[in-house]
Amino acid sequence: MNLNTEADKKNTYDAIVVGTGISGGWAAKELTEKGLKTLVLERGRMVTHPNYPTATKDPWDLPYAGKASQEDLKQQGVQARTGYTIRQDTKHWFVNDVENPYTEVKRFDWMRGYHVGGRSIMWGRQSYRWSDLDFSSNAKDGHGVDWPIRYKDLAPWYDYVEQFIGVSGQNEGYDVLPDGKFLPPMEMNCVELDLKDKVRGKFNRPFTIGRTAHATAPLPHSPQRGTCQFRNLCARGCPYGGYFSSPSGSLPAAEKTGNMTLRPNSIVHELIYDEKLGKATGVKVLDAETGEQIEFSAKVIFLCASTFGSTFIMLNSISNRFPNGFGNDSGELGHNIMDHHLSVGAGADVEGYEDKYYSGRRANGIYIPRYRNVGSDKRDYLRGFGYQGGASRQGWSSLVSELSIGADLKNAVTNPGKWTIGLGGFGEILPYHENFVTLNKDKKDKFGLPTLTFDADLRDNEYKMRKDMANDAAEMLEASGFKNVRTFDNKIGVGLGIHEMGTARMGKDPKTSVLNSWNQVHACKNVYVTDGSAMASAACVNPSLTYMALTARAVDHAVSELKKQNL
Amino acid sequence: MDRREALKRTAWIMGGVVSAPAIMGILKGCAAKPTINWKPVFLNEEQASIITEVAGIIIPKTDTPGAKETNVPAFIDLMLKDVYSKEDQDRYLAGLKAFDEEAKKAHGDSFAELEPEKQAEFVKKIHDEAVTAERATKPAPPRPFILMTKELTMLGFFTSKVGATEVLQYEAVPGAYHGCLPLKEAGNGKTWAT
Repeated sequence: MNLNTEADKKNTYDAIVVGTGISGGWAAKELTEKGLKTLVLERGRMVTHPNYPTATKDPWDLPYAGKASQEDLKQQGVQARTGYTIRQDTKHWFVNDVENPYTEVKRFDWMRGYHVGGRSIMWGRQSYRWSDLDFSSNAKDGHGVDWPIRYKDLAPWYDYVEQFIGVSGQNEGYDVLPDGKFLPPMEMNCVELDLKDKVRGKFNRPFTIGRTAHATAPLPHSPQRGTCQFRNLCARGCPYGGYFSSPSGSLPAAEKTGNMTLRPNSIVHELIYDEKLGKATGVKVLDAETGEQIEFSAKVIFLCASTFGSTFIMLNSISNRFPNGFGNDSGELGHNIMDHHLSVGAGADVEGYEDKYYSGRRANGIYIPRYRNVGSDKRDYLRGFGYQGGASRQGWSSLVSELSIGADLKNAVTNPGKWTIGLGGFGEILPYHENFVTLNKDKKDKFGLPTLTFDADLRDNEYKMRKDMANDAAEMLEASGFKNVRTFDNKIGVGLGIHEMGTARMGKDPKTSVLNSWNQVHACKNVYVTDGSAMASAACVNPSLTYMALTARAVDHAVSELKKQNL
Repeated sequence: MDRREALKRTAWIMGGVVSAPAIMGILKGCAAKPTINWKPVFLNEEQASIITEVAGIIIPKTDTPGAKETNVPAFIDLMLKDVYSKEDQDRYLAGLKAFDEEAKKAHGDSFAELEPEKQAEFVKKIHDEAVTAERATKPAPPRPFILMTKELTMLGFFTSKVGATEVLQYEAVPGAYHGCLPLKEAGNGKTWAT
């Protein structure tokens, strides 16, 4: 006899979503819009649009001219490795590293934000579709396992997601970067227009304006969002709803349905598996504020807790059926960590254009899609990279190393400085089984939960690719007539791209993959994983658009399966 | 009080005759100690006075306020305390000490006791030497005191409301992006503060 029937009923939903980031917000929206009573669990604190504490601060409102203090660097030393995330206006969105430790066998950069919205508040917003060049790469060169889907499976979902979130971009007809449903593109500045002509003309390479999740036109279906005001303060959170995030876009849509129960401060640490039913029946939650342990039940569960968040839950869910982690018949759970390797490229000075400038602050740059190992081009490495870049005029800081001081300095500084231009590469990391994460039960966090240990590295293919990433950029800038061209190639850790993925990969064969073509766990069909864990390969483009499309498609499948009583 | 005044008064007290050694003694004893109108949290009062004057020379009051009028010296002091590493702090203080000793060698008085014109001349000399050295060396060495002070002065001033809105131009909410404009049509044609 169950004495807790009322409590059980209270804690029972049609669906549970774990995580409210870029994929969790979408799972919440799609499930609730399709009529399911959905519990959305977020481990971090509540955040509601448009309440972003630093959003409208002027430069003089920030202590230390916005720079990180020594104390900040002590508390958030790992998060500071990017060089740009720990500033006075954004540090509150990133975890305290002292309170959230992990172990790095080799340097591993794990950037996290624990709050409603997750990193969808601080993301880079660049949104590019994959092509079949990307989906077929594992099959073609034998690294990793073949994707169980192709572009045609995801194309209608890319359409669907782009139209809801609002992506500004320019259709170019490039095979390697499929066109999309775009809002008006942002402008290039004078020097970028010059580079575009040279790259297309002299090198016959693709070159376009960045495709970015900014509303450059109104979005009537999201009335709580305005249009981008070109402040370029996005990582603070945008009170105008100028770019897409969970709090500004997908969660309000879920809220509107009346079917969502959003529970922050809820750390999911285990899936509950019923061996007899062969199904997951719910999740175990630790309340981060009260320390209470609570169980919630649902017919279908979506893990969208971020790659390592969801993978942690699965690794921590041990049962007789799954002695090595939930759904881990293949032994691939936690393995195949991928990211994009970056911090390599070239920069140059620009002569001329003294009489040209811009107004407004564009939170976007130019984009050179992949051209290496495309068509007949064959390099000494596999796969490829794209470039993000841009040109700008130097501001007052360029005058520190000039001779003027005093009244002369005040005068000199009013004239915009010389133009400079740069290209930074984003390269595909291959799926290596040897790049993996494990649960560390010997080192517990402040909640008494195990921590993670990372063992991942760049390898030969990546290092060979980086040579091209630096040299090609320099070559293009040089050929375009820019001066003092200098390459850069910095030592990084895997994870610095903040596009970590692959640790519960999709595949055709349950022996070599964790998820099937619908993002269902092969071995337990009522659990779907739709964040970066699912990725069988990394491509070289920013992955969030693909996570959102996979999520929307997976929810559609889940609801259809529920209706057919297959789950 | 300034030294001429001290000397006049001393001569009057002593009945009009003051010996040369005595004069030197009086001059030293009554040296005008510049006061600062803010309370340092990292530098001592003497160091704070020096950097206040240096900041005011780097960005003086012109038709717009300068560094001293916009609390930049206090900003510099706070940045040194909370943002700079121990290594950088030590280099700064050693450089500040060397700067003052150099002033003594060159002009006979510690920096704070020099006349304003001599202070400006001295700062310009030390500054130009440092800039020239930095531009000639690749890779550039860690910045010396004078350039760290210049950098902090400029950072504090151009992130201040006066610096950003009166000397440069600043738009909190631009509303739109225009990529390729003639300079004079980009706002008021001045450098954007952000």
